[in-house]
Amino acid sequence: MLHLAPPHRSLAARLTGYLIPLASLAIFVLAWEAFVRLGEMPAFILPAPGAVARKAITVTLNGTLWRHTWITLIEVLGGLALGTITAMALGYSIARSVAIERALSPYIVASQAIPVIAIAPLLVIWFGPGLFSKVLISALIVFFPILVNTIAGVRSVPEDLHDLMRSLNATRWQTFRKLEVPAALPVLLAGLKVGATLSVIGAVVGELAGARAGLGVMISVADGQYDTARMFVGVLALVVMALTLYGAVDLLEKRVLRWRAAGAGRHTALY
Amino acid sequence: MTRTPTLILVALAAALLLGACEPTYTPEQQLGQVESFTMYMGFRPDVQFAPFYVGLEKGFFREEGLEITLEHASESDMVRLVGTGEAPFAVVSGEQVLLSRAQGVPIVYVFQWYQRFPVAVAARGDLGITTPADLAGHSVGTPMLEGASYIGLEALLGSAGLTDADIDLQVTGFTQVETLVTGRVEAVVIYASNEPVQLDAQGVDYTLINVADYANLVSNGIITSEKLIAENPDLVRRMAAAFAKAVAYTIENPDEAYSISAKYVEGLDDPGVQAAQKTVLARSIDLWRAERLGASQLEGWETMQEVLLTMGLLDVPQDLSAAYTDAFLP
Repeated sequence: MLHLAPPHRSLAARLTGYLIPLASLAIFVLAWEAFVRLGEMPAFILPAPGAVARKAITVTLNGTLWRHTWITLIEVLGGLALGTITAMALGYSIARSVAIERALSPYIVASQAIPVIAIAPLLVIWFGPGLFSKVLISALIVFFPILVNTIAGVRSVPEDLHDLMRSLNATRWQTFRKLEVPAALPVLLAGLKVGATLSVIGAVVGELAGARAGLGVMISVADGQYDTARMFVGVLALVVMALTLYGAVDLLEKRVLRWRAAGAGRHTALY
Repeated sequence: MTRTPTLILVALAAALLLGACEPTYTPEQQLGQVESFTMYMGFRPDVQFAPFYVGLEKGFFREEGLEITLEHASESDMVRLVGTGEAPFAVVSGEQVLLSRAQGVPIVYVFQWYQRFPVAVAARGDLGITTPADLAGHSVGTPMLEGASYIGLEALLGSAGLTDADIDLQVTGFTQVETLVTGRVEAVVIYASNEPVQLDAQGVDYTLINVADYANLVSNGIITSEKLIAENPDLVRRMAAAFAKAVAYTIENPDEAYSISAKYVEGLDDPGVQAAQKTVLARSIDLWRAERLGASQLEGWETMQEVLLTMGLLDVPQDLSAAYTDAFLP
């Protein structure tokens, strides 16, 4: 019996995998510096990387960056949680019930045509300028991609597997837990990756509509003071936040879906 | 038909065609003096920009050889456009000049349009808030934590020895009227010529504190770049002259100015909004009046700089003589 274990990457290959992105980043920063110097770009239009780095150190040491990042992170995580839970619950219902789908789908699709940036001020009026309106705006942006992926994931379960569960006298809960959830997870987690990055955008849209703190506020205030370097620091902080969230979902995906790779190995070992 | 009449007809047609292709120049264009450019103003078309509409319709800009196209953008964008030479002029508030110059943006304020700072605080009528000191302990909403509204609020608080710590500061976005009416805050920072009209229309009981009664701050005016002043001072002079005529005409003829503005601002001809919008124009005009239109006062710049230094938005005092000039006024 052959046993084909998944191939291990060599140390050199793994190092190359890390070095290439770092090298790309270095080239980008050098090109940016060259562009600023050769183009004689004024700092209020495009600050040099060094100026952005110095500003990042200043706002980190004086606590400004942490204060704003923390607020945005709360809004992002709150929005992601609220949007995900709501989308998954509704998505499962729509996937399993034609009647619910026919009743709700037109309104859900139509609601996606409304630009969140246009209704953000209304949400601030209705729910106040505090954190909740930002969490809500973030949740609204996250909702649709996770909803769509939930529906697709639940419907992707082959009907013969449902038949198998029925033939084994599985309860509704057992079918949900042992069949539908594992089968839908790959598609669902793909939607969560998209939602994770969109939640950051939603939080910033909410902050720009009215907030006292958050990275969106930091960027807006810096813009009003023509401190373009500080604007860049805010934008970079948002990028890092989005990448971290994406990475976290990616890690979750690898852990939760380990059984897929193991199952593929056992399957291969039969031949 | 013989060939001669045909040739004459062809020659005539050719002459007519050539004549149609030949551009028609105004006297200013023949002298090579017509300047075409985009004039930037804040936010969106509004009756408060009436002098620009009047200037276009009455030909004040054309008389000075200026062919302008109106555009709208945020203040910070407009400052950057003028500072980089992408646009020759824009309308911004005075604090933008000091803040941007501190970051190396080479702009100069050349025409003070608003002679009174237009920011005010409107408070719920039942609270009895009539002076800046009365704001202590109350919730106050500001649209954002930058710009003329916030700086005006800080100046108002400062006049009573107060700071943000003495009030419950809320950031409402540009939803001040709704936020006050729904009771989310007890007072809001507004434009004295605009939001009170909306509050009156809704029958809201409120008190008003004008920043201009407690602090003389530089408000909206026309900026240009140091480069344009050096390379084409005549253009700056012509712009100032044209705009002064436009402002003066608007002040003297508000009804006609409103009718003209209706051609440029969607909805002004709606009978449902006319009364309110005419009031907005009238109150705006009150903020523009001056013995010499366009003239700045050093006191206003000094007070503005003091407020910005106290707020920590400026690290060191600026050379105010480089930030503004009345040299181009008619």
